[in-house]
Amino acid sequence: MMSEGGSAQAAAAATSDSNSLEYQAEGNQGHTYQYYPSAAGSAPAPWPVHGGDHPSSGNRTVQNVSYQYNPQQSSTGANMANVSSITSTSTASGTDNASNVYSSYAPYPTSTNPYGYASSEYTNYYSGYQQQSAQPYTQASGAYQNSGSAYQPISSFPNPGSYAGSTSYSSTYYNPADYQTTGAYAGSSYSSQATVWNQGNYTNYPHQYGNYSHDSSSSYTSSNAAATTNYQQHYQQWADYYSSQTEVTCAPGTENTAVTTAAALPCPIPGVSSGSGYSAPVSQAQASYTPTWRPETSLSALPSQQTTSTVGAYEDYWKHATQSFQNHQDTSLQSNFQKPLHENTSHPIIQNQQQTLVTQVSSSQYTEVQQTHTQPLQPFTPADTLRVSKLQIPTNPRIASNMALAVPRTIKETATSSVTVKPAYVSVSLPKPNDKVLSSTSDSNAKTGMFPSSLRGYVERALARCKDEKQRAACQEVMKEKITEATAEGTLYSRDWDTEPLFPLPDIGTVNNDGQSVAPVMSLSTFKRSPSRRTKSRWEPLPEDKPIEKPTSTCQDSARHGVWTHFSGRENKSLAVKSERKNATLSRFSAVEQTSVSRSAHRPAKRQRFGNDLSATENGDASSDSDKEQSLTAYYSGATTLANSPEERKRRENRSKRFDNGTGQRTENHYRPKNVKSGNLYARRATALVLSRTFEDGGPRAVEDIDWDSLTVKGTCQEIEKRYLRLTSAPDPSTVRPEEVLEKALDMVQNSQKNYLYKCDQLKSIRQDLTVQRIRNELTVKVYETHARLALEFGDLPEFNQSQSQLKSLYGEGIAGCRMEFSAYNLLSVSLLSNNRRDLLSLMSRLSDEAKKHEAVKHALSVRSAVTSGNYVLFFRLYKSAPNLNTCLMDLCVEKMRFEAVKCMSRTFRPTIPVSYVAQVLGFSSTSEGEASDEKDVDGLEECTEWLKAHGACLISDNNGELVVDAKVSSSSLYMPEPEDAVAHGDANLAVNDFFTRAST
Amino acid sequence: MGEAHRRIMDYLNTFSDAIATQDGALLRRLLSLSSNNPKLLSVADALNVFQDVSRLIRQSSETLSPLLRSLQCYKLDQLVDAYNSYEKFANAFIQEFRNWESAWALEALYVVAYEIRIIAERADRELASNGKTPDKLKAAGSFLMKVFGVLAGKGPKRVGALHVTCQLFKVYFKLGTVHLCRSVIRSIETARIFDFEEFPTRDKVTYMYYTGRLEVFNENFPAADQKLSYALAHCHPDHEANIRMILKYLIPVKLSIGILPGDLLLERNNLLEYRDVVLALRRGDIRLLRCALQQHEDRFLRSGVYLVLEKLELQVYRRLLKKIYIIQKHKDPSKAHQVKLDIIVKALKWLQIDMDVDEVECIVAILIYKNLIKGYFAHKSKVVVLSKQDPFPKLNGKPVGL
Repeated sequence: MMSEGGSAQAAAAATSDSNSLEYQAEGNQGHTYQYYPSAAGSAPAPWPVHGGDHPSSGNRTVQNVSYQYNPQQSSTGANMANVSSITSTSTASGTDNASNVYSSYAPYPTSTNPYGYASSEYTNYYSGYQQQSAQPYTQASGAYQNSGSAYQPISSFPNPGSYAGSTSYSSTYYNPADYQTTGAYAGSSYSSQATVWNQGNYTNYPHQYGNYSHDSSSSYTSSNAAATTNYQQHYQQWADYYSSQTEVTCAPGTENTAVTTAAALPCPIPGVSSGSGYSAPVSQAQASYTPTWRPETSLSALPSQQTTSTVGAYEDYWKHATQSFQNHQDTSLQSNFQKPLHENTSHPIIQNQQQTLVTQVSSSQYTEVQQTHTQPLQPFTPADTLRVSKLQIPTNPRIASNMALAVPRTIKETATSSVTVKPAYVSVSLPKPNDKVLSSTSDSNAKTGMFPSSLRGYVERALARCKDEKQRAACQEVMKEKITEATAEGTLYSRDWDTEPLFPLPDIGTVNNDGQSVAPVMSLSTFKRSPSRRTKSRWEPLPEDKPIEKPTSTCQDSARHGVWTHFSGRENKSLAVKSERKNATLSRFSAVEQTSVSRSAHRPAKRQRFGNDLSATENGDASSDSDKEQSLTAYYSGATTLANSPEERKRRENRSKRFDNGTGQRTENHYRPKNVKSGNLYARRATALVLSRTFEDGGPRAVEDIDWDSLTVKGTCQEIEKRYLRLTSAPDPSTVRPEEVLEKALDMVQNSQKNYLYKCDQLKSIRQDLTVQRIRNELTVKVYETHARLALEFGDLPEFNQSQSQLKSLYGEGIAGCRMEFSAYNLLSVSLLSNNRRDLLSLMSRLSDEAKKHEAVKHALSVRSAVTSGNYVLFFRLYKSAPNLNTCLMDLCVEKMRFEAVKCMSRTFRPTIPVSYVAQVLGFSSTSEGEASDEKDVDGLEECTEWLKAHGACLISDNNGELVVDAKVSSSSLYMPEPEDAVAHGDANLAVNDFFTRAST
Repeated sequence: MGEAHRRIMDYLNTFSDAIATQDGALLRRLLSLSSNNPKLLSVADALNVFQDVSRLIRQSSETLSPLLRSLQCYKLDQLVDAYNSYEKFANAFIQEFRNWESAWALEALYVVAYEIRIIAERADRELASNGKTPDKLKAAGSFLMKVFGVLAGKGPKRVGALHVTCQLFKVYFKLGTVHLCRSVIRSIETARIFDFEEFPTRDKVTYMYYTGRLEVFNENFPAADQKLSYALAHCHPDHEANIRMILKYLIPVKLSIGILPGDLLLERNNLLEYRDVVLALRRGDIRLLRCALQQHEDRFLRSGVYLVLEKLELQVYRRLLKKIYIIQKHKDPSKAHQVKLDIIVKALKWLQIDMDVDEVECIVAILIYKNLIKGYFAHKSKVVVLSKQDPFPKLNGKPVGL
């Protein structure tokens, strides 16, 4: 682990430089300049020591920021988990406290514990945990580092190479689809980075988990037998099971914040499981979430090994999480951050209000990160519990990470919950030993044994600059953050502390004021950016260029901004304990929070980062104007970093292009995430893009607005024969036949001796080719007419109706064809088959006089009236004299007419009806009356006899030996036999036999 | 200029007065664009004259600005724009209306519902003439559906539901999307909160007219008869056009259940297209019926009664048979109930209708089958044997059939 961590660190370091460069570059861009001012002004205040370094070391800043950020979050969550412990580092000192904390927890237990643990149990658990924690802890820290490094890549964009080897998981993890998402997201470089990052994370996780699992098992056992078992099982063997279990157990926790928290704590131990545990409450909170979660676990393939299994589960989790990895990543990042945050939080002797702020912050952050996850703020509520116990010490980094994971999920939906949460938070005071945190620097010094000597030197240098106690304290604060961050990132040991630039001395005077807080805020923001940065990068360029985009961009900024505010608020807490101020901030924040919450609440959860961004954006709207500028700067600077890669630039260009067409882009923006996801695909076929985007967007634009011209292809295929295959993507010109070839194809079909199914297939492919080339002329009409006729002959009504409706519109465009013939078919099909009187009426009223004189139409009209009046004699006469294919349509109701006729006759004729008469009247004899050939008559007679028998008529012979129907008996015995060729699905064409014949032809 | 401004302000003031005093009638007048009320027209003129209309409009309340814009466009015959603005206004208006406890503005709402339909129809005409897809009436339909939703609940506003339903019917019938009526009808007829009789008469009549027409389409003649008769009975006698519209459907319905109108009725209501049909039924003159149908085919097809009238053929045949029977009875009462097919064929030939024995046999069979004639058919001897008791039973309001 350590080695990995080391490599990661190195990579991070390497990357860091690049980052810094980028950062500056960003600064150069117009937007950034704002950033600088803010940074410059505010930055000095917070970090006097850091000084000029801050700007130069872009990466570090980022890191620091991240660190800070984490702390904050952790504080939020933190509170939840003793994340702080890790931060505080990992140290033993924490342990003692931890035990205390845990014990403190015990009282809280309101336990409705779903978990099944009694509060007391918890305590036990915790204590056990602590003991064990020592070892795991270090390990954890290592793991943490790794994760941190993983994180770094993201921010810094290190080369993936170092990471690449790390995880087998990565491969599993990333399926193409995931990649697409990522790709779409950022430039290719980005995606790779992201990937790397993920890998890194994963790798780290396994380690952590391993540790965790051990710990957890032991701890669990001690605490709760039942629980333990479950957990162990989860962890060790069945990831799936585990997840499910977690849900169960934890889920109830939601109700009890305290409980949840407690649960959260234990959870960390299990590592992954912890995350899951947290999530579980979330899941409970939201039923919807749970399902997703489970599937994930189930998917995990590697149940056998503990670590692996866990990991696997983890991975799955990520995958399924509904959210793409990115989200998770963010989360994990957050988790890292959390620890540091914890410290911060602890610093301020936080009052409830402050806590609220924190919560808010966290919530907001979360929302940003993952909208989907938003909901579960409640679990955090447990904060109360937390507050009681000083969380700081025990928390392992892993916990933090877990927490983070959990948190995002929880966050999932939202804000509502977050709002609710607030009160809870309020009650919680982050007791975290300010002393501790504050002293963290000193601690760290004290701990020097653990730290590299170069770091010690760095700290000493930094502190040496301080002129008085206040400054010193501030410096310490900064240092502490730095270190925590480094720890989190795993660069603690790998970083060259000797060359590390000192941070600007914090301006103590301002420290307590907002201005002061700004610096930290800044850093936070930057930091923050990194997680979400990729997401935003997409958007950023656009806002500048495109007015349309602007709103969004602003929103984002503001969103950021909102976050900042939160942070700054936090900062205030930590640094200054002025309650009044806090109140003020608090109120402001709360307001912001609420708004954001409400907004995010009604926003549908988005799967991707974009979604997150959007939500963030939304949140941002609420933030005050004054903050905006700052946030903007920060935002842009972050954006610019991304913007610099050529690939990214190209992408942006492409992206911006697509907004050139069409209206309603505003709406589109919201939906864009989806598009983005599939961006890679689209890039391949620009034309397809337009289409699919529209569809994906849920149709912000009408279909008419699509530029069909750009999608029309010109075929090049010379093959005459082509099988029909339904298009699932934009047509490929090389497989589309041009018009001349299609004409030949039509001829081929018309002269073909093959069966209908073959012809139908061919005609469909011809129709498809016509459609994609948008050919609408006489050839098209001919194709459809041919198809309609063939379908009629074969009795394939659905196909006939398709062709018919196409023909209607083609005729409507004035293209010549056999209009009369088909209007006759139309009349017949409406009057005989649909029985829709209104349609029939409108159809008839639309017939022109000319049409009414046309033979086919006249025939159709007569048939219609014969049918409506039940005049079977007329009907069968018309049947015999039918022009064109009218017969085929009439065939469809011959059976019905015959049956009705026989029924009518048997009811009215007495005493008998000669079968010969029936055969003649009902069209059985194939000849028209008069010129009858005897042979055929006999055939018809036999057929008629068979038919009558089949329908239950009573046949007798009369005196002359002639076969007659006994009318009276038959009138009550007639029935309609089941059609022999009926198939269950109602479409005889789908009969198996046909399939076989089709396959063989 | 000043004058224009004064007029516009006047309008706005009147509007707010109407709302403040809950003067439904006044409000109604202000909303009725198509009434061509001179006052409204003058406001529209003023809007056109006034240079700074857009500013003024912006200044006026959110609700009113679309109304003013609509008024202006209406005057300029830009009906699509007028419709769009009016719909915007109407949406805002029903929002307001929803909040008003009492139903004082019901009259105004009626006007809105009416206007939106009328303007939509005209806008569609404008769109169609420009070669675009006319979709405004459809939009109006969905708007009215929304209005219906506002009114359909309990409370005093429910009285208005039927009116809106009627407007919806008009829209749907015009659009040919009659099937959409069903849901509205269901909610009117199944809701027991409100007795149908409590609705205003005019709405009841309209409602019955349209539902009666629907029944005609379904060829559910008894129900159609009941509804249309209700409409006719409650229709104000002075509204001749309405009476005529009702009769246009009621007469075919009555005919198909065997009740023939007097000549006077047809003449008085200018429904002479039915005269020949009735005459054919009286005389058993199948040719006359066919001629009448052919002559007024367009009209009958458009009003949708063609298929109904076509079915009268059987009754005409029956009449013919009955006549033959009566004549035979005069000649030889003992053999009167045996009618030879040849005689019928001959009779038809006199009517210049060429049918052979088979066909006549078929028709007679159908007549017997459908209970228009009592008796049976002796195939061998080609003779229809009529029942000695009541061979031609009266329909008496029953539909033809079983």
